[in-house]
Amino acid sequence: MEDKLVEFANLLRQNGIRVSLAETLDAVAASDVTGLGERELFRAALRATMIKRASELPVFEELFDVYFSGLGEIIKGASKEVQDALSMSDQDFQDFLDQMEEMLKNHGEELSELAKQLLQNNNGQIERAMREAARAVRMQGIQRTIEENYFARALARALGFDKIEQEIKELREQLEKLDLGAGMKAKMEEYLDRRLKMLEDIIRKYVRQEREKRDMKAREEQRMNQLGDKSFYYLSDEELEKMREAVTRLAQRLKNIIAVRRKRMKKGRFDVKRTLRANMTNGGVPFHLKFERRKREKPQILVMCDVSDSVRNASRFMLQFVYSLQDLYSRVRSFVFVADVGEVTESFRTNDVKEALDVALKGDIINVYAHSDFGRSFRNFVTDHIGAVNKRTTVIILGDARNNYNLPHDWCLREIRQRARRVIWLNPESRNTWGFGDSEMERYAIHCDLVEECRNLNQLYRVIDQLVPR
Amino acid sequence: MFSSIEEVIERFAKHDYIASRRIATVIYLASALQKPVLVEGPAGVGKTDLAKVLAASLKEELIRLQCYEGLDEGKALYEWEYAKQLLYTQILKDKVTEVLVGTTGLAEAVDRIASEDEVFFSERFILPRPLMKAITSEEQVVLLIDEIDKADAEFEAFLLELLSDFQVTVPEIGTFKAKKIPLVILTSNNAREMSDALKRRCLHLYIDFPNREQELAIIRLKVPDAAEKLAEEVVNVVQSLRKLDLKKTPGISETLDWVKALTLLNVQSLDNALVDETLDTIVKYEGDVRKAQEELKEYLRKARTRRTGTETTGSSDDKDLLN
Repeated sequence: MEDKLVEFANLLRQNGIRVSLAETLDAVAASDVTGLGERELFRAALRATMIKRASELPVFEELFDVYFSGLGEIIKGASKEVQDALSMSDQDFQDFLDQMEEMLKNHGEELSELAKQLLQNNNGQIERAMREAARAVRMQGIQRTIEENYFARALARALGFDKIEQEIKELREQLEKLDLGAGMKAKMEEYLDRRLKMLEDIIRKYVRQEREKRDMKAREEQRMNQLGDKSFYYLSDEELEKMREAVTRLAQRLKNIIAVRRKRMKKGRFDVKRTLRANMTNGGVPFHLKFERRKREKPQILVMCDVSDSVRNASRFMLQFVYSLQDLYSRVRSFVFVADVGEVTESFRTNDVKEALDVALKGDIINVYAHSDFGRSFRNFVTDHIGAVNKRTTVIILGDARNNYNLPHDWCLREIRQRARRVIWLNPESRNTWGFGDSEMERYAIHCDLVEECRNLNQLYRVIDQLVPR
Repeated sequence: MFSSIEEVIERFAKHDYIASRRIATVIYLASALQKPVLVEGPAGVGKTDLAKVLAASLKEELIRLQCYEGLDEGKALYEWEYAKQLLYTQILKDKVTEVLVGTTGLAEAVDRIASEDEVFFSERFILPRPLMKAITSEEQVVLLIDEIDKADAEFEAFLLELLSDFQVTVPEIGTFKAKKIPLVILTSNNAREMSDALKRRCLHLYIDFPNREQELAIIRLKVPDAAEKLAEEVVNVVQSLRKLDLKKTPGISETLDWVKALTLLNVQSLDNALVDETLDTIVKYEGDVRKAQEELKEYLRKARTRRTGTETTGSSDDKDLLN
C-alpha cells in the first residue's frame, strides 16, 4: 500500500499539488486507521492528510477516481462485458465459471498462471499481474499520446501475451476433442475468444488511463502559464474568461505580498506616552516598548484607458486589475477614451467589476466605434477634468498612441504631467513598432515619467506591482 | 477518544451538530493520529462550533484562543507577571537584606542574590495564556485556535513548535511538554493563505455550505418550533441567494438567525410583509439587501404562480358555470 500511496503522491505533485514527504507519511498512517475497506473513508483520509488547499480539492477528487478505481474498474468492466456478451445472469455466469474451473483442472495443467487467472475471472490476480508488468516496463514515464502504442506492446510482452494466446488456442483444440454437448462447447469457445480479446482491451485502456493521469492537469497548467505571456490582442472568448480569473488571482497574490511588505515597515518612532501608559502596572519600569504606527500616504490613481477596438482587451484587464486593488489606493478615478473622453468611476463604484466593465466598453459613455484621436481626447480631458489631477495623483494612460494622423496635442500631456505626481504610459503594442506609421508614441513619451510595453498579463502584473505603495 | 467514525457522528448528533461522514472522518483521524486539524471554509458554516461540540461530546474543557492582528506570544502563550514579581520583591525586602547579611563587597552580594533568583523566575510568576494552559492541563483538552488567518505570519511560525511536538519553550525555565496531548482545531476564513509549514503539520478539512437537505435538517434540529413550510421556503431562498454574487454570502448561522427571527415573529410562510424587514439578519450589506429583496420577490412570484396555477384550473370551472 505504501508504494501505491507514494506513487499517488508523485502523481499529485506532477499535477501541481505540493505534497511533502511528511504528508505522505501522514497519509499512510491515516489509511492504517481507516483501513482500505470503505472507499469513501479511505478517500477522506487521503484528502485530510495530503490536500491542504480548497482550490486543490477538485484536482484531488479527479485524480483519486482515476488512480484508485483505475485498473480495478477497467478489469471489472471488461469481465462484465464478457458476461453480457454471453448473455448470462450473475448466477449462470458463476455456474459457468465453476464448470470452467473443473475443466481446467483436467485439461489445463500446462497453462501459465496468468492464463488460468484470466479464465477463472480472478480479477484481483489479474490486477496484480498488470501492475507488476507496468512497473517492469516503467509505465509511470508515459507522457504523450504517441507513446501509447509503444507501452501497450511493451506491457503485452511483459505479461507474456503471445504465450497466453498460444495456450488458449491449444486449449480450444483440446476442447474440440472433448464431449461436452454442443451448446456448452460453443459457449466455452466463445468465452475463450472473448477473454483473449478482453485482455487486449484491458491493456489498451490501462495504458490510456495512465497517460491521461499524467497529462490531464499538466496541459491545463501549461496553458495557464502561456496565457500570462499571450498577447491581449489574440484571445479567444474562452481565454478571455480564463484571463479574468487569472487577473483576480494575480490581484489577490499582489495583495498578500503587499500585506507582508507593509508589516515590515509598520513600526515608527518610539512612543513615550503610550509606553508610559502601558507600563504603569509595572511601576513605570518600561518592560513593554510602544512604537508609533507610521502613517502611509496612499496614492491616488487616475487611469485613462483607450477602449478602441485594437486595445480593448488590454484596457479591460487594466481596469479590472486596478479595481481589484482599489483599497490599496486612497482614490481611483477612471476615464475611457477613443475620440472623446468620459468618466466611468461612478459605474465602478455602484456595480461590480464585471458589469462596470461591460458598461465602460459598451459605448454608452462615449462612442467606442470612432477612430482613435488621442489629441482630441487629451484636449477634452484638460478642459473638462484637469481638476481630477493633483500632486498626489499617478496618471496611468493605456493606449497604443495610434492617432490616425490627427493633431497629437502633446502639450495637453505636458499640462497633465506638470500637475500630477507622475505619468505612466502603458502601450499594448510591441516596442519596436512604436513611432512607425501613425504611432505618436515617441512624441508623447517625452512627457511621461515611464513608458512601458504592456502586451500580456505578466507584463501587466509587473507594471501594477510597481504602482503599489511600498 | 472515539472508537469509530459512527461514534463521532452519533455523539455530535447528541449535541445538535450534524456531522457529515467527511467531517467525522477527519475528526476521528485527528483523535487517532493526535494531529491538529485546520478547518477552512466560508464564514458561518460551523467551523468554530465544530470545536465546541467536539469538546462537549468528549466532555473536555475547551480552551479558546481568538487570533487577531498583532497577537503575540505574551497574549497567546505566557507572560511573566511583572507586577507580582515587583510586589513580592517589595514585601520581601527585609528577607533580601537578611540573605545579604555577612556579605562583603558588591560581587559577593550579587552572587548571593543570583543563587536565589530562580525563585522569581518560577512557574509561580508565570501567567499562563491559552496555549500554555492547554499544554499544562492535567486532563486532555480541546484547544481552539480561532481565525488563525487574522494573526500575523510570525505568530503562525511560532505555533509550529506547539503543533508538531506539543511542547513550548520558556527560556528561563525550560521546555514544557504536554501532559495530555490536546486536540487542536484551527479555523481559517482564508483571509490569507496559511504557510505550507503550518499546513503540513495539520489535517485539512474544508467545510462548504450545506446542500438543501442538510440545511433543512440543521434547521429542524436547532429551531424545532419553526413551521415546516417556513423552514423549507427559507432554505430555498437562502440556497438561491448563495448563487448570487453577494458581498457576504449568508452562512448557516445566518439562516438559523433568520428562521429564529421569523419564528419569534410568528411568521408561518415567506409570503408576509414582516419578511422584508427581517432580511437584514441574513444579508449584511446595503447592496446585498437589495439583491436579496429581488431574489425573494422572484421566489414568491414563482411560488404564487405555482399555487394559482392549480387554483385557476379550479376557478375556470366556476367561470364555465357562470357562462
